[in-house]
Amino acid sequence: MADMDPETNPHTEHIGDEEEPLFSNLDLFLFTLIVGLVGKNIIVFYGSQTGTGEEFANRLAKDAQRYGMKGMAADPEEYSMGELARLAEIQNSLAIFCMATYGEGDPTDNAQDFYDWLQENDDEDLSGLNYTVFALGNKTYEHYNAMGKYVDKRLEELGAKRIFDLGLGDDDGNLEEDFISWREQFWPAVCEHFGVEASGDDSSIRQYELKVHNDINMNKVFTGEIGRLKSFEVQKPSGKASWKKPVWRNRALCTVGQSLNDTFCRFRYESGDHVAVFPTNDSELVNKLGEILGVDLDVVISLNNLDEESNKKHPFPCPTTYRTALTHYLDITNPPRTNVLYELAQYASDPKDQENMRKMASSSPEGKALYQSWVLDSCRNIRAILEDMPSLKPPIDHLCELLPRLQARYYSIASSSKVHPNSIHICAVVVEYETKTGRVNKGVATNWLKNKLVNGHKSTVPMYIRKSQFRLPFKASNPVIMIGPGTGIAPFMGFIQERGWLKEQGKDVGETVMYFGCRHKNEDYIYQEELEEAEKKGVLTQLNVAFSRDQAHKVYVQHDLKKNKEHVWKLIHTDNAHIYVCGDARNMAKDVQTAFYEIAEEFGGMTRTQATDYVKKLMTKGRYSQDVWS
Amino acid sequence: MEAERRTQMSAEQTENRDLSEQIKEVTKESHVRAENTELMLSFQRGQVTLPQYKLLLCSLYEIYQALEEELDRNSNHPAVAPIYFPAELARLKSIETDLEYFYGPAWREKIVVPAATQRYCHRLRQIGKENPEYLVAHAYTRYLGDLSGGQVLGRIAQKSMGLKSSEGLSFFAFPGVSSPNLFKQLYRGRMNSVELTAEERSGVLEEAVRAFELNIQVFDGLQKMLSVAGNLQQESSTNSNAVYRKTLQFPGSLSPMVRMALGLFVALAAVMGLYAL
Repeated sequence: MADMDPETNPHTEHIGDEEEPLFSNLDLFLFTLIVGLVGKNIIVFYGSQTGTGEEFANRLAKDAQRYGMKGMAADPEEYSMGELARLAEIQNSLAIFCMATYGEGDPTDNAQDFYDWLQENDDEDLSGLNYTVFALGNKTYEHYNAMGKYVDKRLEELGAKRIFDLGLGDDDGNLEEDFISWREQFWPAVCEHFGVEASGDDSSIRQYELKVHNDINMNKVFTGEIGRLKSFEVQKPSGKASWKKPVWRNRALCTVGQSLNDTFCRFRYESGDHVAVFPTNDSELVNKLGEILGVDLDVVISLNNLDEESNKKHPFPCPTTYRTALTHYLDITNPPRTNVLYELAQYASDPKDQENMRKMASSSPEGKALYQSWVLDSCRNIRAILEDMPSLKPPIDHLCELLPRLQARYYSIASSSKVHPNSIHICAVVVEYETKTGRVNKGVATNWLKNKLVNGHKSTVPMYIRKSQFRLPFKASNPVIMIGPGTGIAPFMGFIQERGWLKEQGKDVGETVMYFGCRHKNEDYIYQEELEEAEKKGVLTQLNVAFSRDQAHKVYVQHDLKKNKEHVWKLIHTDNAHIYVCGDARNMAKDVQTAFYEIAEEFGGMTRTQATDYVKKLMTKGRYSQDVWS
Repeated sequence: MEAERRTQMSAEQTENRDLSEQIKEVTKESHVRAENTELMLSFQRGQVTLPQYKLLLCSLYEIYQALEEELDRNSNHPAVAPIYFPAELARLKSIETDLEYFYGPAWREKIVVPAATQRYCHRLRQIGKENPEYLVAHAYTRYLGDLSGGQVLGRIAQKSMGLKSSEGLSFFAFPGVSSPNLFKQLYRGRMNSVELTAEERSGVLEEAVRAFELNIQVFDGLQKMLSVAGNLQQESSTNSNAVYRKTLQFPGSLSPMVRMALGLFVALAAVMGLYAL
């Protein structure tokens, strides 16, 4: 049982002699606080080192009001967490935990005691305690969100009731977005769990307030810029400066696979870097949406955040027009998430439609199944949903608040700036497919690029270079092993060009080995000419191509690797080769890694554990690099 | 058979040790020492004040100026070229921006440089002239430290000093590095491609330990400087502390000890960096 005696509270050591602490040396009793003093039923505890976890906790506490409940944020260091079980005595009570992970999967300082308490008390009975956890962390660290995950699991082990799924916030991606999306689904679930109606006229809570600008200087209106509007900065740019570059050449590499090769004008880059492209939505689709919603798309508006503590003043650059927002800033092609359906449900005049929308947004099994089949499996985007549910007539400003931002697309650059200083090549598969509803869905960026007329009007591409760490070795004499099936070959075209250039410069260039794979030699063997040419010239000292479906059994890059295991081992272990893997993260990258383990086991006399360590060390030392996506 | 195999593996491993691994090992002890100072722990509790941070920035300015000038001058030297990443790593401009933010346009005249900082800079100039191959030890210690602890320290500093935006904190931002972890891997690979004789190599390793010690001395120097000032301040401190408390977000936290060592920051940066190296 936790030590309840305040006199032995270790906190007293921290308090300075000269200062008068704001709180007494006693841990405040949680229970009295809840019941007697403040009358709250939702407590948001935070494990925070740099204040973000605390900020989220404050916002959640504020949210509670909008849902007819009373919340407060609390620092676990200041309370005797051993009283947690007593929260269950309060009706409709809920403990929310915003827990950040620090360092190597550790709790933040203010959560250390709570963590220790959780670990030590196996016989603590938390049944009747409702809880949920939002975890703050960073994916680049090995123990991603370890603390949040631990708290979520441990509370359940101790008998508490989880009323909503663990939220995972990734600071390496976009922590704020992760928090907001989790929050949007969290509160409806809480209301449903407690059988509480959210207060207010709408059953939905608007985050932004619409302001229509009837008389505005058009110089102050955003027309698609990602960042600064000329010299007038209205908000912190969410992307970097856009460079509009003309399209120079647009060539299809092969018929069936539909890969395309676009080139742009000069920009400083290294082979291995990525280029981020800002596509725009199909204008026909945008017009259609305006038609269905029955609005004038060219009205100038702003959407202003009602939460003053948020750093995000607007959902996208404002002031702007609906047309610009739908064309440049909002994602209108992906199936909407459940929170969007939930918020839009109120605008369906047909009660059956409304019921279905809410159902799909709920956590019930039939609801989830309905969402899966009607939205996801049928690939319904917002246009399809509006068309197939004619009674659904949402106001366009609310829709704009709900739709996610249109994301830039990243491509690995497929050229070397040494050989092509004035252009950047990319390699992508044009996305186009028919859905179950008979509609044709098209990929935003690939179709937009494909339709860029060479030297035609408006054939510029807003883009920026994102430096990567995917680099050829410093010494040309180091051998390289490149593994890149499908469009994963992109950065290696740049690498191969560069190795060829180094050779021409008279440098001593080490072995340059390529492992490529695709389905059929005659259909999607992209860059075949270039690769065979490089092999002929000796720039590629070895070219291995696996055609997975040209024979009865599947042949992939990892099979080819293992065929050459002795040579591969010599390159790695004796010749200091650098390994590069590019392409599919889910299967290929893992299978390739396993092939390397097997080779290390066989030729290096290692156990599986040692082989894994060996490969891991290669990664740490920059000799095994991956550029993979899922 | 199994045991034989394993000893064979480890024998091979110790012979072909990479520079990145050796540096990590050789500075492990200094690292543990610094990491466990009271000051480092209290820094993590967000106890750095604006005056302290400004003083630290002055020292960082001098140090990076020396380091980066020597790196630039020796950029073609075979032991520097592989690890030369000015676009991604250089700190001088960002520190200047921060100094201007805190001290105003006449910041150059207001810079204060304690003796330990001067010693550090002197050493950097010396090796820039006489042993450029040792520069990698300093670059590694400082830059990878900044990259590792950087983001977190930046946010701690922001909160503890009550800064609103990221103004004054450009030192912590590395816009040219999309992934600190991947960059460190690349950097280690580059370090390992530097060709050194056995003598040069042991010199580099020695220099890495020295780099660490120099950083700690800078921090000690700043601490002494501030504790003198701090003792004078403490008599009339209650007012300012109350004001300070308002800028912190969480009521339960403690007011900073005025004789807080700023240089903790430096040690922290170096230490956290090494910790993750």
